[in-house]
Amino acid sequence: MNSVPTSSLTPRSPSAAPTIPVPPARVALVGNPNTGKTTLFNALTGLRQRVGNFAGVTVERVEGSYRAADGRSVAVLDLPGTYSLATASPDERIAHDVLMRRSGDGWIPDVVVVVVDATHLERNLFLVSQVLELGLPVVVALNQADAAERSGTRIDVPELSFALGVPVVPTVATRGEGLEPLRRAIDDAVRLPPPGRRFALPAAVAMAVAPLELQLQEHGLSRAEAQLEALRLLSIDATETGAYDGAVERARDALRAANEEPGQIEASLRYAWISQIVTRCVSSAERPSHATSDRIDGVVLHRVIGPMIFLALMALVFQALFTWATPLQDALEALVARVGDVVTATLPAGDLRSLLVDGVIAGVGSVVVFLPQIAILFTCIGVLEDSGYMARAALLMDRVMRRVGLHGRSFIPMLSGYACAVPAIMATRTIGEPKDRLATIMVVPLMSCSARLPVYTLLIGAFIPATMLFGSVSLQSLTLLAMYLLGTLAALAAAAVFKRTLLKGPVRPMILELPPYRWPSPRALLVTVAQRCRLFLRRAGTVILALSIVLWALATWPRLPVDPARSDAAQRELALEHSALGRIGRAIEPAVAPLGFDWKIGVSIAASFAAREVFVSTMGTIYGVGGDDGDTAKLTTVLRAERRADGTPVYSLPVALSLLVFYVFALMCMSTIAITVREAGGGAVGWRWAALQFGYMLALAWGAAFVTYRVAMVLSGGTNA
Amino acid sequence: MATDTVPLFAQPNTVRPAADAAGMRACCLAACAAGSRATVVRLGCDDSDACRLRALGLNEGTTVAVVDDRHGTLLDVRGTRLALGTALTERITVQPHV
Repeated sequence: MNSVPTSSLTPRSPSAAPTIPVPPARVALVGNPNTGKTTLFNALTGLRQRVGNFAGVTVERVEGSYRAADGRSVAVLDLPGTYSLATASPDERIAHDVLMRRSGDGWIPDVVVVVVDATHLERNLFLVSQVLELGLPVVVALNQADAAERSGTRIDVPELSFALGVPVVPTVATRGEGLEPLRRAIDDAVRLPPPGRRFALPAAVAMAVAPLELQLQEHGLSRAEAQLEALRLLSIDATETGAYDGAVERARDALRAANEEPGQIEASLRYAWISQIVTRCVSSAERPSHATSDRIDGVVLHRVIGPMIFLALMALVFQALFTWATPLQDALEALVARVGDVVTATLPAGDLRSLLVDGVIAGVGSVVVFLPQIAILFTCIGVLEDSGYMARAALLMDRVMRRVGLHGRSFIPMLSGYACAVPAIMATRTIGEPKDRLATIMVVPLMSCSARLPVYTLLIGAFIPATMLFGSVSLQSLTLLAMYLLGTLAALAAAAVFKRTLLKGPVRPMILELPPYRWPSPRALLVTVAQRCRLFLRRAGTVILALSIVLWALATWPRLPVDPARSDAAQRELALEHSALGRIGRAIEPAVAPLGFDWKIGVSIAASFAAREVFVSTMGTIYGVGGDDGDTAKLTTVLRAERRADGTPVYSLPVALSLLVFYVFALMCMSTIAITVREAGGGAVGWRWAALQFGYMLALAWGAAFVTYRVAMVLSGGTNA
Repeated sequence: MATDTVPLFAQPNTVRPAADAAGMRACCLAACAAGSRATVVRLGCDDSDACRLRALGLNEGTTVAVVDDRHGTLLDVRGTRLALGTALTERITVQPHV
């Protein structure tokens, strides 16, 4: 495969096309939220994707690639969804910086693809009109062209292309239609004259902004960029104009003197131009029909039925997580056991076999079996998001969130917290108000993430009876739901406390777009779920693998001489107690004993600080160590059989409940702490917030587990308190 | 800060507030009931909120329809559905259509 050199590392003058166009190697995808941009990205790149962060910030950066017709690899960057380049939120700032060639990592696109929703062309063209002024080659992907046609909207594509001065390609990303023409248009775009502003400023406005444009050009911006930037500076908040404060204020004064309102100018001009285009290119004067969506909203947003549907959907998600995953999980469990058996049969007894079977296979295996649940959770979140329901959930929750001092927008990061606190904390970047954002960051880790799921599932599966209530709802799934509700309520309460004390401030008003309801595309879902599963497995394959080996070593050495007089179980117990891991556990036992935990649980909790899932693998390692037949016994059975010296079960119901509650509240996750440090301001400030977050959650966890244990002991009439 | 000036650049799909002035008095958007239509006269909110609203298609001179008023105000803006909180709709002045 030939590697084609690219001009993308050096900024190109936007005023002149390169004399010898080089085929594009870097394409940026930009568009409004809910346009199917990510679906198009997935369709273009398939599974060839890399997930990371934008340099210096923690907005998720997804880059993929595809092979062009000539075999060349074309990198595609999926920019965060944005309505404009006004930089009101960090997501918008990322899109702005990449497109203005100012991104921290020096990634400069050769071609920009603006994904527009054909059913909402008018609003989408606002961003297009801004992108055209960047001077970069642009292709417009007219997505959901089929839906527009169905709703009776006919778009004259050649006329639209002529009006915008750039290629326009109709696509249906969900079915993968229009991808080849789009790829060809991307290749051809570099040979076309660069686009630019397609409307003229009225004389009074042009005169008022001319000095500001000049100053921007003196600071290194091209003429086109300066024109775009001048209008942007006039429309944003007066406190955010930075270095150009004086020039912006003078331009504003000049505009006011000409009886013009500076803040309105950009939108008025752009929408006036857009209206002309829509009149010319869209043959149906009618707006797209929202009849079906409105009818569904009539029920979904009902004051009484709405919240009931919301709760029912959440219950369904948890039922799916618990019940539907079981057969797959059993199959994976059997596979892990089989691998252990094969290794045991192949290798001679000794440290290597013990390391592989008891350390690696038992440790990683006990985490990998949760893959079906991770996949189901991300499928559910994906369906809710892609169908358009997630925005309705945020609207329904706005009132609740407002009561605790947050607003509906905090709900989506909090809901994402059910999957993982790390992306959820990243998602708080869509919250403009810094205090609201910080309050959301502080409480997001209380939402039960998917890493807690293995812990919940293990304990619930082992200790909560599988009784069916009302014929179809199992007590186990209800307990799981209760754990999630407990975390959610604690998060809301903690937010209320933060917003009334350390982070007192006004609540930003709600602005939320409700996309029309759509059937989620199975293909797009598959790509997203596969991407998340791969990330989970990579974690299991790296961090958890390394920790499993370390833990196995700690649990194996120093060795205790074998005493033939003792039974196997007693020998195993003593050997573990004698090991380094046992000594650590003994040291922290006094701190966890009031919660009903023994030193083995203490060790697992301490080890789970690397990642919560490690709790399960540590238990796997601890209880797998020393098994001379090498058989990886089912952890559940082993836990149930575990006895104290007096013969009472270690894992009584009060202990299991106490442990469950501890994990609902405790911030046992290095990654979350790292992300909080960065997102809460970095440096000493970030560390202070992270320390506060860890401290308050640990105190909450200890207190709640203590109360749970004591209450459960009293209720169950237990004595080993 | 925004003023009550009529925008210079009237759009074909919008109505100048003055055209309706004879019928009804200008009011805040929060006061408009579901099913009513109105033209935006002034965005009296923060500059940053106003900037966001304009990017979402809700700028001065735009005609909007109130679709639902059960959870804040759900608007039809240029064919899209936009939900706004009461804190915001109370500060948006509109000219209701007769």
